[in-house]
Amino acid sequence: MKTYFDVQGDGGSGIVAQVTAQREAMTAALAGVRHVVLIGSGKGGVGKSTATMALGQSLRRRGKTVAILDADLNGPCQAQMAGLEGAPWVPGLRGLAIPRRRDGLGVVSCGSFLEGAASLELPSVAQGDEHVWRATRELTTLGQLVASIDWGSLDVLLVDLPPGTESTRQHAAFLGPRVVLVLLTIPTDVARGVVARSLAALRRDRAVVLGQIENMAGYYHRAEERILPLFPPPRRGELELPLLGRIPFDPELARLCDAGWPSDAELSPPPGLEEATDNLLQALAAAEITA
Amino acid sequence: MKFLCVVCDTPMRLERAEPPKDGSITAVFECPECFHQIAMLTNPMETQAVTSLGVQIGPGAAERAAAGGCPFSGMINEMEEKPLRMPWTREALDRLAKIPDFVRPMAKDSIEQFARQQGHDEVSEQVMDEARGLFGM
Repeated sequence: MKTYFDVQGDGGSGIVAQVTAQREAMTAALAGVRHVVLIGSGKGGVGKSTATMALGQSLRRRGKTVAILDADLNGPCQAQMAGLEGAPWVPGLRGLAIPRRRDGLGVVSCGSFLEGAASLELPSVAQGDEHVWRATRELTTLGQLVASIDWGSLDVLLVDLPPGTESTRQHAAFLGPRVVLVLLTIPTDVARGVVARSLAALRRDRAVVLGQIENMAGYYHRAEERILPLFPPPRRGELELPLLGRIPFDPELARLCDAGWPSDAELSPPPGLEEATDNLLQALAAAEITA
Repeated sequence: MKFLCVVCDTPMRLERAEPPKDGSITAVFECPECFHQIAMLTNPMETQAVTSLGVQIGPGAAERAAAGGCPFSGMINEMEEKPLRMPWTREALDRLAKIPDFVRPMAKDSIEQFARQQGHDEVSEQVMDEARGLFGM
């Protein structure tokens, strides 16, 4: 009797071909994006989204064309941080147009239209048992979204990943071989431990991890222009990963994000942000040469 | 998944797929040599797991998907379509139709929400252009 591999094609629906076509559509949509940078961690609550927005603003101030994709479809926050709640996804000539702030930073986030505490409904015929299919459906939806956007020409697309080690790994694999990652951690044993697991998993998958940013590295007291301790010194050593920068917790930055980062806001960057941005750009350039 | 006719060791072909009933799809396969037929009956969890990949199921499904058709056309339409919550002009609907199906409900919701917030009682191309102007698109 023939085996699976003796038979050409599939059962008749061409499912593998359809999935391949979806991946190709995603790649084609991102063709004009020079760097796709996933901001992940594995650990929740380390400030990925705030750091993503701050990095986006920092890159934009350097004249880079930047957009942020909020990959957390059901826990989106980038629209609020960018002041783009209520910004609709409007079809243009080549796809959905990217909602942009007045300063030019583009943000694609389900938070644009999910009002209040609403969550993204993913209809199902499965009659429960959502664990069986929901992660797949969310990734598929993200892929369709990426393929549907008219990204145009961008220097950097920052992708704010959802928390979770498994989720970080899945997103990195799903979004394709040309993405690179930056991992965020905070100086605690617990966070470093979880991020180390993420890093190990990503390396097993041969994902390109450019470096780490240590967030909440102290408390930035703006009035006194000094950094105060926030956590006790961790016992666990640093990750074996290039350090792009250390950014202290900055209540003003958090306030700005809560307020939708008003366009007229004048905030000097917290210490470490500019250095992290410089190092990120250098790492991107180096990765480009290596590729 | 592939199906093999155990009578004559020939790959079977997908003859037809019935639209789902209560989440179950019926797919009929036929042997092109001896015309032996079998029916595959999926349970709702299987239907959902496969269609969560955003694929179409049925003869010629890949071709329909490549042409930009609905991933669930003829199969599980009841999963996707939510009714419009406010009137849309024909031109606005045509523009909406250009968006891939998976993302369309989200775009629809966001445009309707914007229209309501701006005090419109209908979604038109003008509303879409207003949004584009307001959000630098």
